[in-house]
Amino acid sequence: MIIQQRKANDILPSEITPKSTYLNRRKFMTGALTSAAALATSPVLAIQSADGKPALSSPNELQKQILAASETAWGKDETLSPYSAVTQYNNFYEFGTGKTDPSRYAGDFKTDGWKVEIGGECEVKGQFTLEDILKPLDLEERIYRLRCVEAWSMVIPWIGFPLAELLKRFKPLSSAKYVEFTTIEDPEQMPGQRSVFSTIDWPYKEGLRMDEAMHPLTLMAVGLYGEILPNQNGAPLRLVVPWKYGFKSIKSIVAIRFVEEMPSTTWNDLAPQEYGFYANVNPKVDHPRWSQASERRLPNGLFSANRIPTQMFNGYASEVEGLYSGMDLRRFY
Amino acid sequence: MSILSAISNKITSVPVFWRRFIITGLSALPALYILQLVVRIQTGERDLLGPEPGKALVWLTGTWAFNFLLIALVVTPLYRLLNQRWVLVHRRMLGLWAFLYTSLHALAYATFLLQWQWADITSEIVKRPYLLLGTGAWTILLALALTSTRWAQKSLGKRWKALHKLVYFAALLASVHYLLQIRAGWFEPVLYTVLTILVLLVRNRRFEGFWKKSDKI
Repeated sequence: MIIQQRKANDILPSEITPKSTYLNRRKFMTGALTSAAALATSPVLAIQSADGKPALSSPNELQKQILAASETAWGKDETLSPYSAVTQYNNFYEFGTGKTDPSRYAGDFKTDGWKVEIGGECEVKGQFTLEDILKPLDLEERIYRLRCVEAWSMVIPWIGFPLAELLKRFKPLSSAKYVEFTTIEDPEQMPGQRSVFSTIDWPYKEGLRMDEAMHPLTLMAVGLYGEILPNQNGAPLRLVVPWKYGFKSIKSIVAIRFVEEMPSTTWNDLAPQEYGFYANVNPKVDHPRWSQASERRLPNGLFSANRIPTQMFNGYASEVEGLYSGMDLRRFY
Repeated sequence: MSILSAISNKITSVPVFWRRFIITGLSALPALYILQLVVRIQTGERDLLGPEPGKALVWLTGTWAFNFLLIALVVTPLYRLLNQRWVLVHRRMLGLWAFLYTSLHALAYATFLLQWQWADITSEIVKRPYLLLGTGAWTILLALALTSTRWAQKSLGKRWKALHKLVYFAALLASVHYLLQIRAGWFEPVLYTVLTILVLLVRNRRFEGFWKKSDKI
């Protein structure tokens, strides 16, 4: 468990989430449990126990685990982006390229029985169910800023666990220099993967350098806003790397591999001059087609773009700049 | 051909005033739709167009600008195909609507995205060449709108036709303006570009033989 203290350069927000809202959030979460238990029609409760009453199947266990998540100091002073914005404005090209496509088409996406394949340069390999992965872990809530490469940003209360805690269990070998992540490839469920108009070579792949993956800031999320991760946000398991552009935070992960060479990653393959492997948030290195010096904090209004200056490493510089000492970040963007 | 001329006769039986009235009404519909979106967002329905309503409106106005540009461009080929003068009567008005929607698009960009921060525009234009192309297309349409009167037509004489041929250049600029914004989904920009090229080919007299002959059979 990492005790995080506020660093001097952390953002001081102009607005603070009111205490009443914060308390209501806990109330809302308790309510969610009750209603989840009451929803006997929900497919997640389809498994019946001997006495005919619905048994707690895994998603319900997950919900319980999410409710038990501990709070952390991360982002406590940030103003959260509303739930509607977080869940209805997504880049998840597997469900379509429009921002509302994921929330529109991911509703029926099946995540039960989810398995993750672990392989590569590590001692412990094989297929692990989501329950296997989560069982020994305590979940925590972390409020992180998310900066998209498209120059908009949000503040999201994730629920998850440090990726390092998971990776250690597979005993990576010293030859493991990078970690490669893969999203599910399932064209039947994902209209974006069926589309002939997409230029992406599915499945979506991302990667981190080993030290980035093991960094205490790097989170694996299974929930947000006190709930199980909505499908459009990358259910049931997604990465959150808050100092990198959003596309690094790969969704709906089905495979994690420890590799020796820098893995190829989807956006870097598609347009290497626009999207680097590192993709650290950097206001001084522009995207070839637009400036990265500022960002639009969403939601914004018609007559107020809510434009704020972008911070180096998305404001997490004091935590992560050490990872890149001596590196030319203009070259390794 | 008989069906076409029958339809054509039906349409021409409607007085030109009413035809203009109907076209104006239909052309104004998207603008009214966009206007009510703005009003609803400003009066509390903040989620109506998602968390970035300004951007959504810039895209919506841009799409309609391109739609009307294509509609206006298709008038002349349609006239040649039908050999009916009544089509031409409405060309000026449709062109002006294309100019109006392009202006709305530019206005939406300046208001919602640029927020009238003109200090940012130089760096924006350097970073985003598509802005320059869009501005170029709008400037051409402005010149054409200003010289769309009968008086301008008469006083410019032969030069009027040469000037107004620039509309094809504006359409090409608009296509590239759109294409430059592709990230991964290329369907719509490519569709509009293909339509633009088709209209330009059909319009070109050298290619006219292909479709005109085959159509008469």
